Amino acid sequence: MAMAVRAPLVRTFLLSPTSSSPSPSRPLGAPATCSVVRTRRGISSSRRLPLRANCRPLPTRAAVAVDSPGTGSREAESDSPNVLLEVTDLTAVVAESKQEVLRGINLTIREGEVHAIMGKNGSGKSTFSKVLVGHPDYEVTGGSVIFKGENLLDMDPEERSHAGLFMSFQSPVEIPGVSNIDFLQMAFNSRRKKQGLPELSPIEFFGFLDPKLSAVNMDPKFLNRNVNEGFSGGEKKRNEILQLAVLEADLAILDEIDSGLDVDALQDVAKAVNGLLTPKNSVLMITHYRRLLDYIKPTFIHIMDYGSIIKTGDISLAEQLEKQGYRAISAA
Amino acid sequence: MSSCCCGSPSLPASASSRRLRRAPAVKFRPAAVRCSLSDPFVLEIAEKLEDSLSVAPRAAPAPPSLQRLRDASSQSLLSRSWPSLKDEPFRFTDTSFLRQSRILPASGPSIDLPPFAAGSASPHLLAVVDGLVVPSLSRFSSLPQGVCVGGVSDAPSGPVSERVLEVLALGDAFQGRDLFWDINGAGAPDLAVVYVPSGVRMVEEPLVVRFVSLESADAGSNSLFVSNPRMVVVVEKGAEVAIVEEHLGAEGSDGKCYWANSVMEIVVGEGAKVFHSYVQQQSSNAAHIKWTFTRQESSSTYELIEISTGARLSRHNLHIQQMGPDTTTELSSFHISQTNQTHDLHSKLVLDHPRGYSRQLHKCIVTHSSGHSVFDGNIKVNRYAQQTDAGQLTRSLLLAPRATVNVKPNLQIIADDVKCSHGAAISDLEEDQLFYFRARGIDSETARDALIFSFGAEVLARLPFEPIRKKVASHIRDLLAAKKP
Ligand SMILES: Nc1ncnc2c1ncn2[C@@H]1O[C@H](COP(=O)(O)OP(=O)(O)OP(=O)(O)O)[C@@H](O)[C@H]1O
Ligand SMILES: [Mg+2]
Repeated sequence: MAMAVRAPLVRTFLLSPTSSSPSPSRPLGAPATCSVVRTRRGISSSRRLPLRANCRPLPTRAAVAVDSPGTGSREAESDSPNVLLEVTDLTAVVAESKQEVLRGINLTIREGEVHAIMGKNGSGKSTFSKVLVGHPDYEVTGGSVIFKGENLLDMDPEERSHAGLFMSFQSPVEIPGVSNIDFLQMAFNSRRKKQGLPELSPIEFFGFLDPKLSAVNMDPKFLNRNVNEGFSGGEKKRNEILQLAVLEADLAILDEIDSGLDVDALQDVAKAVNGLLTPKNSVLMITHYRRLLDYIKPTFIHIMDYGSIIKTGDISLAEQLEKQGYRAISAA
Repeated sequence: MSSCCCGSPSLPASASSRRLRRAPAVKFRPAAVRCSLSDPFVLEIAEKLEDSLSVAPRAAPAPPSLQRLRDASSQSLLSRSWPSLKDEPFRFTDTSFLRQSRILPASGPSIDLPPFAAGSASPHLLAVVDGLVVPSLSRFSSLPQGVCVGGVSDAPSGPVSERVLEVLALGDAFQGRDLFWDINGAGAPDLAVVYVPSGVRMVEEPLVVRFVSLESADAGSNSLFVSNPRMVVVVEKGAEVAIVEEHLGAEGSDGKCYWANSVMEIVVGEGAKVFHSYVQQQSSNAAHIKWTFTRQESSSTYELIEISTGARLSRHNLHIQQMGPDTTTELSSFHISQTNQTHDLHSKLVLDHPRGYSRQLHKCIVTHSSGHSVFDGNIKVNRYAQQTDAGQLTRSLLLAPRATVNVKPNLQIIADDVKCSHGAAISDLEEDQLFYFRARGIDSETARDALIFSFGAEVLARLPFEPIRKKVASHIRDLLAAKKP
């Protein structure tokens, strides 16, 4: 049987421009605004400490979901750390089917904070992270995202990366024919170029890379393999963290970085992530398990359900979740 | 988007498959019966070739083997006609521009050849210019003991010459040959011979065979010089050899018109191994038609890696015949078809004996709406080829609207105890892969370039010699960069 095929017209994907239209109606039971906890003044002094510190002042339950966006009170808190990411009423649909997935997300992340998002399968966690990095599968239909004072939604995915945003994929794609080291070097040099810095030669780059490899405890032989090709689930995750280490992002979104990791690998990855944390940068991690939160201590935990954040709290939320499941949360 | 015809234990094609094995001494070609009237265009070519050979600068009497080849081929040409799109093997491949050209036999290189053959990655180099072996441009000084490389008139009498005669006779009995095979035989000015005696290894440093087309015409002049390089490779029992076959125009001839019409016959002896790289980088207005006919004795290995990027029309006819059990055959090809280019691979692997192992990978990129790629890959697993393990995969990357590929991977399986698989995929670049690059800060153009290059890298990586691999890789990068829309 023969087949003759003609190429379809080359597709282009565009993110729709940020719309300022009000967010569409919300499901019953979801709070009218699900904005993030306002941090208290007291937190800022301890924020200079490593984030793994156990005894960090925590936001109280009372502080949860009380602010509407746009009250203008945030900037008044001049001594709290700078806002890194501010998501307001973000709605998004699947580009192809126009099916709504994100239904009004509000989230504020400040420098030095660690946030965790938990939530049922299919609640929209990965979609949220992919929308933040500009994945062409989705179309933003409303709301705004400000990253480091700039409109993130106006930027191309590569510009978002250059601006300091990084997402580790839940399922990183394999790229046959492109070696891992070439890929890392391309990514690194793209950013250098953007910063007006000279690109590093392969040898200089290897010198730069070597300590990063040890930081994630990765065998250098993975550098000569094709990107993610034939990597085990855990190896792929480790490779994502290596990329994060190379790109030194300000905000790292880690989508289920713990799934598929054995205990040792989880510790390696957590150690590497903690090692990358400074008072200036932040992590947003998505996870189903408390185990990861024992290693990378979150400042806040958010529960996502049906495309929006329905609850925000501290580590106790994860404990409650583990004991009682999501039913207890949504009932609350 | 894949087409399949595998897994069924028996296909009606079994009856005709027999004929391939024992051809009668008298030529009998069913196709020829249908069109026994001579084709005047073909006759004209045959006459011109004959005339040119009788006045050629090196018109010393041809060695008997070469003369016999020419005579038999001329005879056979009488009943051939020029293929049209109605003939199955040329259904998708338009050769009409050859037919509309004034075809002139290349007259053979003069004495003062430009030193284009300089710079080779290996100390072993055989230069063939317009079909003639040119010893002054070749390097044979460090060939392993017993290995013979050169023109047939220099081949030692005895086993070498006898084997060459044998191979030519087998080719004569080959039922699958076509008009272009016969044109080559009728017009071959020389016969390049490579003979590797039993047990000899020549693998680390390959024999580079550089086919250069020197005589050419300007595009648009309607004249088309044809050369007919012919080569016989005999690798005896247990020997191992690596051959890199290059096809080029003369330096600075890009854009020139010519037609290279070559035939290579390879015999892989019992337990022998042949690693064959084939790199086609002809001028963008050239026609390149080539036959590779390989016979594999028992327990032998034949690996072919083809990278074709040149020529306006490039057709590779590849026929591999298994002569005994336990053979290994690995075929990989990569084509890039850009503006006005057609690349065509017609391959046939015939397995008649038990426990053969074969893998075929075909990949092509069509970058322009006027580019075209054709693949017809047949693997025939006959009745006695039990426990055969055959796999076939073709992948095409179409980068422009209306870019065209015609792929026809097909397995014909008559034996019932076999493991066979095949598949075909045609795609644009993977959006998810593109996005992965962009999410890491790499702009989409750089990402596209990297992904397009990486598509062929799988085949490229199989080229066994690093200097050649690097040279071909940089050639491909240049091509892809230059022809951006
Ligand atoms: N590209 C897409 N096409 C169609 N549906 C999609 C697409 N992306 C997401 N969805 C749908 O949107 C919903 C949210 O998916 P998403 O991957 O964001 O969930 P998740 O919260 O990350 O789940 P999990 O915990 O299983 O990873 C699901 O119902 C999913 O099927
Ligand atoms: Mg997910």
